[in-house]
Amino acid sequence: MNTLKNLILTAALSGMIAGPGLAYAQAAPDQTDPAQIARGAKAWADQCGRCHNVRAPAEFNDEDWYVAVAHMRVRGNIPGDVIRDIQAFLMASNKKK
Amino acid sequence: MGGTVLQLIRPGKGNSMMGLKPNRIFLSTLTFIALAFFLSINSVRAQEPTNQELLDRIETLEQELQYFRESLATNTARSEQAEERAEAAEIKAEAAARTAENAVNTASAVAPLPDTKWHLAGYADAGAMFRTNGGDDTFAFGHFNPVFLFQYKDIVMFEGELEFEIDEDGNTEVALEYAQLDFFLHDNITLVVGKFLSPIGQFKERLHPTWINKIGYAPAGFGHDGVQPGGDVGIMVRGGVPVGKRSMFTYSLMVGNGPRMGHEGNISFEGFGKDDNQNKAFGGRIGFLPVPYLELGFSFLKGKIDGLHGEEEGDAHPESISLDSFEFEPSTATVKLWGADAAYTRGPWDFRFEYLKSVRDPIYSFDEEEGEVALLPEMTLTAWYVQLAYRLSEIGNSSFLHKFEPVVRYGKFNISGNHHLEEANAQTRLNIGLNYWIAPSLVARIGYERRKFLEEGLVEKIILLQAAYGF
Repeated sequence: MNTLKNLILTAALSGMIAGPGLAYAQAAPDQTDPAQIARGAKAWADQCGRCHNVRAPAEFNDEDWYVAVAHMRVRGNIPGDVIRDIQAFLMASNKKK
Repeated sequence: MGGTVLQLIRPGKGNSMMGLKPNRIFLSTLTFIALAFFLSINSVRAQEPTNQELLDRIETLEQELQYFRESLATNTARSEQAEERAEAAEIKAEAAARTAENAVNTASAVAPLPDTKWHLAGYADAGAMFRTNGGDDTFAFGHFNPVFLFQYKDIVMFEGELEFEIDEDGNTEVALEYAQLDFFLHDNITLVVGKFLSPIGQFKERLHPTWINKIGYAPAGFGHDGVQPGGDVGIMVRGGVPVGKRSMFTYSLMVGNGPRMGHEGNISFEGFGKDDNQNKAFGGRIGFLPVPYLELGFSFLKGKIDGLHGEEEGDAHPESISLDSFEFEPSTATVKLWGADAAYTRGPWDFRFEYLKSVRDPIYSFDEEEGEVALLPEMTLTAWYVQLAYRLSEIGNSSFLHKFEPVVRYGKFNISGNHHLEEANAQTRLNIGLNYWIAPSLVARIGYERRKFLEEGLVEKIILLQAAYGF
């Protein structure tokens, strides 16, 4: 009985949610889109400061920022579209002038 | 006039009517003309300028001419300068246009990132502690916690954190803080499997790294042997759901192996790789952010522990005791935990509050103090803290001053139903600290901590020096 209960719990939390979710296509961040960059700048200031100091774009290169921000998507429960805005902003702003 | 005079002197019908002789008329006319000419000549001579006047006029004209020449030269020079400036501005404008075009082209031409991306993150800290009573003053290497992040497209990410510490004898201790796979199923749904940090409350999952934690050490009851779970092994769904333009709901719901009996009758929430019973722990946290800088959360967890089989390593039972005897009922107990938290993080302000309470039902387990299996009474753990930090970034114009952040925290850890634990851990804890932020993730701090143990009233004071770096 307990095994069945555990299976149901597992299914409820993974399979039933994963099913429709796997079909969902997520757009990539566009660091040439001014609107997305502007949204990202605001989200960067809003979301990062919830837990720690806001870190400067120049700290990391594009790949590092891409992954680090995706890590924050999990840790901070930040929606994926907001994450892509932040990625676009950081990747457009981290180039040395 | 001349025509008139000639008409007057010509003989004709008109003149004959005057009755004068022609010769006399002619002579009179000549005389009149000569007189008039003489008078007119004198009159013209009287109006002519003198030589001096002419010289003055010439000089004036020469001066005016010189002025006009100089003006012309000045205007010509200005015109040339303006022309040069215009050319320079045009060159700059062209250069700016080329720069902007290059920037756009560069951004457009950024090489696409590979499908598999990775990043090495983590943190480290070191420092010194000075105690007022008990224990020696000591330098301390706190933590070295590398975090490995690997991501395949926007489908899955692996996160793994190791914790390296050295004990008092210099031995290196290694622990796996978490190792999880995150499947990005939807913008608002992430499925997590593996060993993960507990989503219960805020501190353990989001605030415990020393470069984030304003004090550098955990509040009483929120570290090891506290009420806040450290982690679990299982599955979790989590994400954030926007509500309107600025509000957001967050959720983290997990099923895991759950807690076990810990040392000395305590409950251990360290994330065990194997469950000690068929019951799985279910818990999570629901959060709401009415605005991005205000967060309210509610956490809960329910699970069961086995009092006779599931203890941590090192708590072996005496062989003489038959642990399967029916006389030791109940040998399982339900553990219930709930809590609330809040955070306000606007501008230079950082305010946090957290409360957690867990209750374990009575259970038969091995009583280390008595050396036998005994019925342990209901045990309740309650911990809370309130913390306020203020960054001096808006005071004065000194960039040096702007890097300071005073912080104060007060908390309490209450334990009932377990005398040994209460004696060792129940306390109030006051922290006063000053952070100096060298960089957003690099801090040097000094802190004062006052622990008052509730059972015996002992007071311990600690001065802490620490440098922490998040990378």
